[in-house]
Amino acid sequence: MSGQPNVLEKVIAFVDERVGLKTLQAKMLNEPVPGGSRWAYIFGSVLLFIFIMQAVTGILLMFYYVPSADHAYASTQYIIHEVDYGWFLLSYHFWGSSAMVVMVFAHMSQVFLWGAYKSPREMIWLVGLALFGIVMAFGFTGYLLPWDQRAYWATTVGVEIMDKTPIVGDFMARFLKGGATPGQMTLSRFFVIHVMILPAMLMGLAGLHIFLFRKAGPAGPFQGTPAELKAKTDYFFPRQIWKDMVAMAAVFATICSLAFIEPVVLLEEATPDPGEYHPEPEWYFLFLFQLLRLKIFSGEFGQFLGAIAIPGAFMALLAALPFIDRSPERNIFKRPVALIGWIAVMAAILIFTVSAIINREFLD
Amino acid sequence: MTDQPTQMSPVRLGLAVAWPAFWTGVPIKIALALLLLAMGQHPWEFPGLAFLLLLSIPVDIWAVGLSGRTVFLERLGVEPPASLGLTLWWQGAALYATYGSLACFLERQTIAGSQAVVGKILDLELLKAIPIAERISIELTAWGSVSAVVLLALTLGGLFLFGKLVQRQADSGSPTTAPYEARVHQWDLMRVPADQPLMLTVVMAVGVAMVLLLWAVMPVTTPHPHESYIKDEKKAAPILKPTEVLQKAERVLTQAETSVQALEAKAKTSKGKAPAATDKKAAAKAKKA
Repeated sequence: MSGQPNVLEKVIAFVDERVGLKTLQAKMLNEPVPGGSRWAYIFGSVLLFIFIMQAVTGILLMFYYVPSADHAYASTQYIIHEVDYGWFLLSYHFWGSSAMVVMVFAHMSQVFLWGAYKSPREMIWLVGLALFGIVMAFGFTGYLLPWDQRAYWATTVGVEIMDKTPIVGDFMARFLKGGATPGQMTLSRFFVIHVMILPAMLMGLAGLHIFLFRKAGPAGPFQGTPAELKAKTDYFFPRQIWKDMVAMAAVFATICSLAFIEPVVLLEEATPDPGEYHPEPEWYFLFLFQLLRLKIFSGEFGQFLGAIAIPGAFMALLAALPFIDRSPERNIFKRPVALIGWIAVMAAILIFTVSAIINREFLD
Repeated sequence: MTDQPTQMSPVRLGLAVAWPAFWTGVPIKIALALLLLAMGQHPWEFPGLAFLLLLSIPVDIWAVGLSGRTVFLERLGVEPPASLGLTLWWQGAALYATYGSLACFLERQTIAGSQAVVGKILDLELLKAIPIAERISIELTAWGSVSAVVLLALTLGGLFLFGKLVQRQADSGSPTTAPYEARVHQWDLMRVPADQPLMLTVVMAVGVAMVLLLWAVMPVTTPHPHESYIKDEKKAAPILKPTEVLQKAERVLTQAETSVQALEAKAKTSKGKAPAATDKKAAAKAKKA
């Protein structure tokens, strides 16, 4: 055996000399994880994976989708019924968006419960909140694109809610609709926001999020002595990467399974007459939709309170959280207010979402 | 740092083994369920369900053994017995069959009972004025809270019983005298295969094979056609055979040539005869034109 490098090794050495591949690889993989790898840390990587898959399936769908009010519905039907594996790609993209919302909630919950938003990680938390908003905006804008009754009326309701925002609400609603009722301009604007603006924003902010995370380092477990954490401390590669990969495979298989069990089936083509259809937003906005059905939130002021003021105040509270909660204690079992608050919010979301589903029976 | 074995309550012990074991097995089971779905078999109906349950047995034995050995070494400071996974699996399966069935029955009864009671309370004249949206949420919160408390109690009961099974295994094991770091290192090594490149190659090959299998068995067009979508019935165009077309054209030309020749011969034989009345009219029409 000769000590001479082979062709591949020479190519790698050539690129490494110019790009610094080995330094980059070491920086990416040799991040110490205090207390060792954990399943609780998979959510960020899984979110990145889901976003990449959404981008891939979205690009493939764009080869056939026509973003015009005349052809959006027909081209989506064509994707479902005529394009090879089109039904699967569209259904994967649809369920992938739901998976992204679930994972964002899981990721934010993990960071909140682990107290990982505290100093020196306030910036990571704030950028994460902005990313949460972008994921929600992805869901809202993408929902209109198939141009069926569900899409049209969910958007109509959503834009009407947005209209109630003080100062900027009217402008935002007019800008998004581009006319008195949703039409070609609405579809064009939603399409551009969905495929151009939001992906660019998400990529930029996700990059910043990861950069800030690497700068501050992982927070590690919220309990355990320094000696115990040191005994278990490991590098990002291979244990955490292995866990991340298993979680990605499980999420991929779950999304595929959902695409098989409940594939996308369009309703009638969008018309300005709802007919028999009862407008409803996507499932992750259902809790808010049900909240607005309560008598306390009826009337102009009530709708503003339920749709804008309360969610806005909640988001402002989340943004201010690292600056209000300055105690260094991270153990969730020693932070009763945080634990009870999290349980209450999750229970409220669950109760109102299920209530909205039960409420469907009483609409006809 | 805990160099001494930790004393754990049966509930915590049961949770420490059952929770990671559940999540260890889930990805493999989902992948199997996905393949069944792609093949058009529902994993919750008979043939698919039986197949999935059968394949889950070795997965669960492995997963319970893996998480059990970790807890024994790291938390209890006990050398795990060789057949820990198998023993805990069959004992856990027996527990699930008996206690699990009972718990499911009790939970169902609780849901039905609490729904009936809450419904009756809200049907009282005093509360009939509550609007529908509020009523739904109140009803759901009331019976949901009762059912959640009962479910939590039953789950804790199940974990307690499973924890007792784990404790019995731990009591029969020999305590390890190794310090904490050494124990962590020991369970760490148990999780990592001796031949890592071989393991990675096998995992990669299985992954690639499963992805190929998925695409191979997946329907190309949607198995759920839209009721109002009318698919264009495309008629296949007849296949063009150039030799046959040329031969046919030649035959037509030959026939036309024969007909022309016959007409010319006829015209020659009728020369000199007086034209018929119709011929006169035709000649006049041609002149006008």
